[in-house]
Amino acid sequence: MSFVETIIETCSQLPPFPAVINRALNLMNDPNSSVQEIVETIQYDQAITANVLRVCNSAYFGLRQSVGSLQEAVIFLGFSQLIEILLSGVSGSMMGKAVSGYDLEAGELWKHSVSSALLSQIISRRIKREQNPMLFTAALIHDIGKVLLNAYVKEQSETIKDLVKTKGVSFLQAEKDVLGIDHAELSAHIIEQWNFPQKIIQAIRYHHTPLLATSDQEAVYQIYLSDLIAILTGIGGGVDGLSYSGFEQVMHHYKLNEKDIERFMAQLGDQIQKVEAMIQVQ
Amino acid sequence: MRSGIEKYSMKKIVGIADMEVCNDWKTGLITYSLGSCIGVAIYDPVAQVGGLLHYMLPESQIDPQKAQKNPFMFADTGIPLLFKEAYRFGAAKNRIIVKVAGGSQILDDTGFFNIGKRNYMALRKILWKNNILIKAEDIGGQVSRTVRLDLATGKVWLKYSGEVEKEL
Repeated sequence: MSFVETIIETCSQLPPFPAVINRALNLMNDPNSSVQEIVETIQYDQAITANVLRVCNSAYFGLRQSVGSLQEAVIFLGFSQLIEILLSGVSGSMMGKAVSGYDLEAGELWKHSVSSALLSQIISRRIKREQNPMLFTAALIHDIGKVLLNAYVKEQSETIKDLVKTKGVSFLQAEKDVLGIDHAELSAHIIEQWNFPQKIIQAIRYHHTPLLATSDQEAVYQIYLSDLIAILTGIGGGVDGLSYSGFEQVMHHYKLNEKDIERFMAQLGDQIQKVEAMIQVQ
Repeated sequence: MRSGIEKYSMKKIVGIADMEVCNDWKTGLITYSLGSCIGVAIYDPVAQVGGLLHYMLPESQIDPQKAQKNPFMFADTGIPLLFKEAYRFGAAKNRIIVKVAGGSQILDDTGFFNIGKRNYMALRKILWKNNILIKAEDIGGQVSRTVRLDLATGKVWLKYSGEVEKEL
């Protein structure tokens, strides 16, 4: 087995994506399904329900009376916010721990993930005038590969950092040059294993190299921008910092300019408290 | 635990788009994860008053409503408030020492994403207009920075992610 194959093999160590959440996501994509059906799907999972209710009742949402059931949560928050909280909890269980190879303390990768996910909706509302749960999901788990690549990055940390510093290559390229695989590719492998839709797999595989994608460009470009703006903002920034590439073609594609980037950042800034509320650690 | 902060009896974390000013010498002010954002640390050694601002964007005109709600998000609304608050605590303009860090950039920057540079230009403009000099700075590059201000000594400490802390 080659070194890269050994790294890819570690994907099987990760727990499967919670089946309950997968069912809820499938129902969401089905125009014939009702909110009731989705609530029924998730309400029997106590851990997930408890997490949703805790976040729901946090100071950020400022509800006048406390919410005691998923049913009520849907009424108070609306369906899309419920899904956001639900998914953020799942990402926390997988990405909440410290990722020391990237110099990320406990909760930092999760914070970056939730910020990217909120940005995906800010961007989608601006360019498509709609919410997009598929993009929210993709943005939330785009860096899952870092959790597994962590140990290898840590081992080769000096070599990778040196390559970034002296050659001026992106952190992604340095990962690839030193380890034979980068975190975006590894994320895609993990998500393939979870049988996610092709669109999400593509968006995650190319989230740092959007121009290389040969299909699903819309999803790829929007996840690229969501992640990049979260990186610019600095939330959950680690040893890789801002060592990633900017592609103006993506901006031209949506006729966006630098002021739009600033507006996206300001809107995220406005939701920092929401990020904090959504990552309340158990 | 984060490096460098455990020695204080009081530690105040300055969040993103946030500010703290304080005259308690036992306190350390710290801000994490400066990407393209900029951290402005000011200190009056006589009054032992210090302040730290972590702003995100250069100009409030991009979104005046958000600036009203949170002026610390922008350079042009946050920086004046940082100084005003320090004066209220007894700091004097001619004694204030200013140190700044942040303003990182991504690679292959074409102008669309150069918030870090625009943040720095805005800072320079505001300070220049008000005849205030920058004593020390660490700006640009691709790094993620942590900045802390020690109120007892007025020293500003800078840490790049993955590296050891050094004095600014």
